[in-house]
Amino acid sequence: MATIRIPTPLRPYAAGNKEVKVAGNTVEAALDSLTTTYPDLRQHLFEGDQLRSFVNLYLNQEDIRYLDGAQTSLAENDTLMIIPSIAGGASAI
Amino acid sequence: MLTLTQSLLNEIEAHGVASYPYEGCGLLLGESTGEQNTVQAIFPVENRWEVEDEKRERFYIAAEDMLRAEMAAMAAGREVIGVFHSHPDHEPVASPRDLAWAAWVGYSYLITAVRQARPGESRSWQLRPDRTGFDEEEIVVQ
Repeated sequence: MATIRIPTPLRPYAAGNKEVKVAGNTVEAALDSLTTTYPDLRQHLFEGDQLRSFVNLYLNQEDIRYLDGAQTSLAENDTLMIIPSIAGGASAI
Repeated sequence: MLTLTQSLLNEIEAHGVASYPYEGCGLLLGESTGEQNTVQAIFPVENRWEVEDEKRERFYIAAEDMLRAEMAAMAAGREVIGVFHSHPDHEPVASPRDLAWAAWVGYSYLITAVRQARPGESRSWQLRPDRTGFDEEEIVVQ
């Protein structure tokens, strides 16, 4: 099973776990597994059926956008990290 | 509540001043109990907003920089607990733009005003769980 590392602020929504072992052979299946086990995580990661725009996924420190995206294959000892990008600024939009 | 030392606050202010007239930004590393975020180190990053002149009012922390911060935090036995950025010649109040492009609930969003290249007030904000706004949190400087 691959491992997903949970961002610090989201650990309360994953029973306090830093890392979670997940079933699934692809990134998409692993996220489904994660949010099925911990449904409270879903609202923080997804907006509707889509990952929130600031959420990025790194497989063994490589951006999955440069692999096969959500269909990227996962192997037994892979580690998936959930990494946000952040923006903002002083004035109103 | 956000807790940090005067020395770390000085570092954050200095980064804001060095970035002036553009917004400066970075990550807060430390530990979190849920109720309290304690800063133990900062991880300044480049403001990667693409349009140079718009950096006066905008910042962007790219995922690859965030990944570097996460790896540095892990190596030091710390966590990424929040974000800091400066508001050049603006109040240190979380803006609609800060809200629209915020990341996790539970992070501390520390904003430092920089006025005419001098450090001003810092205030810290927590994103509401329903992402409808920010609430101010107390800053404790030790």
